[in-house]
Amino acid sequence: MDGGRFFGAFRAFSGITDAVVLSHAPVGCNWGTGIFNNFSNQPDIRHACTVVHEREIVFGGEEALKKALALADEIYDRSLLVVISGDVPSIIGDDVQAVIDSVSSDEDVLWLEAAGYSGSMRDGYEDALLKLGSLMKERGVVERSVNLIGFCPDDFKVHADIKEITRIMEDLGVKLNCTLSICSFEELRAAPAAELNVVLGQGTKLAQYMKKEFGVPYIEADYPYGLEGSIKFVDALCEKLDIKHDAENSLDLEPFKRAFLHLHEIYGTTVSIIGDFHCTPMANFLEGELGFEIEVQSYFDRDYHSFEEDVRKSCTMMLFGSSFERGLAKELGIPIMRFVYPIFDQICICDYAPYAGFRGAAFLTESIINAVMGFDHKLKNIV
Amino acid sequence: MRRFCVYGKGGIGKSTMVSNMAAALAENGSRVMVVGCDPKADSTRNLIGSRIPTILDAFREKGPGNMKLEDIVFVGFNSVYCAESGGPEPGVGCAGRGVITAAEMLDRLGAFDDLNLDVLIYDVLGDVVCGGFAMPLKNGLVDDVYIVTTCDSMSIYAANNICKGIKRFAVRGEVFLGGIIYNGRSSVDEPSIVDGFAERLGAQVVGRVPMSDLIPMSEIRHKTVIEYAPDSDTAEFFRNLGRSIVRNENKVVPEPLSDEELNEINREVEELFREKTLAGQAQ
Repeated sequence: MDGGRFFGAFRAFSGITDAVVLSHAPVGCNWGTGIFNNFSNQPDIRHACTVVHEREIVFGGEEALKKALALADEIYDRSLLVVISGDVPSIIGDDVQAVIDSVSSDEDVLWLEAAGYSGSMRDGYEDALLKLGSLMKERGVVERSVNLIGFCPDDFKVHADIKEITRIMEDLGVKLNCTLSICSFEELRAAPAAELNVVLGQGTKLAQYMKKEFGVPYIEADYPYGLEGSIKFVDALCEKLDIKHDAENSLDLEPFKRAFLHLHEIYGTTVSIIGDFHCTPMANFLEGELGFEIEVQSYFDRDYHSFEEDVRKSCTMMLFGSSFERGLAKELGIPIMRFVYPIFDQICICDYAPYAGFRGAAFLTESIINAVMGFDHKLKNIV
Repeated sequence: MRRFCVYGKGGIGKSTMVSNMAAALAENGSRVMVVGCDPKADSTRNLIGSRIPTILDAFREKGPGNMKLEDIVFVGFNSVYCAESGGPEPGVGCAGRGVITAAEMLDRLGAFDDLNLDVLIYDVLGDVVCGGFAMPLKNGLVDDVYIVTTCDSMSIYAANNICKGIKRFAVRGEVFLGGIIYNGRSSVDEPSIVDGFAERLGAQVVGRVPMSDLIPMSEIRHKTVIEYAPDSDTAEFFRNLGRSIVRNENKVVPEPLSDEELNEINREVEELFREKTLAGQAQ
């Protein structure tokens, strides 16, 4: 179920909000990556494609790339143009660098070889961030400022989550310098001004690079799901930035008190969960704070077939994952809670209903309870 | 329709065999077609008298939707139908994929159905053995394969590699090895070397091409020997070779040789070469 290196690279590059991503690939690859990105942000069409077809496979795709580069340059007002070379050009050996050199002497054209078969989505994301890192410029350090690394523009709830994490940090007196990769080209270049990089799940290679090149230290933290997860995040940040703060003071238990009977009802629910790096902290929240029992826990880069089989054999009453798991949930007649990329059967357009952080814990709990309460067809079957 | 393909290392004489057999088989009125599967696109030059536009040229210039059969199939000596897959310039694109595309275009435009062919011959470059060049071995495109080789070690090595490809598809019942064609035009002309190689493969030698000046003489004029010297023994050889292959029912799944077995053949060739050199010095 891993999307492969091409998807990872696209997700990282498309997060630069004033960049244009040119996929040197067949149109299906462009559609696949783009549709997930545009699902909850429909005006954001900043990707183009060389539409590699039979002709390009046989005669090489360099001419098509040359034309597409010129066209993208003409059509889009952009700060950065990024070329992602996919499976077919990698197999037939298109000389992408030579084509770029032939049409542009600008430094604002980046490219990455990202054949889907040559690595995981995580690999593509990490290497794309490293490419973006090469554009960063040394800046004077802004004290008590951090970069958040690990986000993608097509993550579910991403804007709301960043807003909530930013709010939490501001309560500590910490300013958000840059979010990677959901930022402008200029914000990207100014990323070395941060006092600290906080890696949330992925992006470690970039953090290591920035430490070496610009002296920016980094910490790795779990994605802050739930109250406990949020406290851990705050504690890690405070420890590194030497801030005295009691995270317990940030807790607002009122929303949970209002639903204590429902929480009592769902306590002990048997669930299964799959995802990327969001999976473990979500499972910790479900198990540690809601009292769920995890039947099967797996990750997208592992054997998906085994996950499905294990879930079928288990006593799973609710599923947590992406839109890809809805078929399994339907087959088993159980509710599904979508929380991880890709989600293409629900939209997310409000940036004030996060899943991350202290406030996210309440929204998340509310969504889970509603998913269970709204799931009535199984109950009808029982009747 | 009898369908076979001829493989072999580049420059080994495949096109010579194929064009002469095609011209010979067409003498009695059979409808014969040659499909060249080599980016250098010269398999049919001796039948037409010059190079013809390739299928991929038409594909590039007109696009798959606007191509017609007459854009890619040409009529040569003795009314042999000729087509060349062509390919990209060296260093770009995928020539193997080009072979696949060309075969698909011929099929789509009805070349194999509408021309009522009696014999279809593919002439395939055998040095490069990616999936594209293995296309004629797959999907039931041909009944069997003939490999041209000399005594040279690299030629035998290439022939052995082609046998590995044939074996892969033969076990699925898609294609078989019809036999080896020996070409004596090399540093050492010793048919027993190739006889031994064929025996180890479990295959037969279907023909031994005689050394003849008529072959290069006719090719200089872009003609087949059948056209240039129709009454010669060499022309008669090609007629017999064509008939043998069309009638051949002895088709096998080859057992490719190990590196050690290939080395043994190399040592035999080396010994013969040494003897030849000594004999030359003695004279």
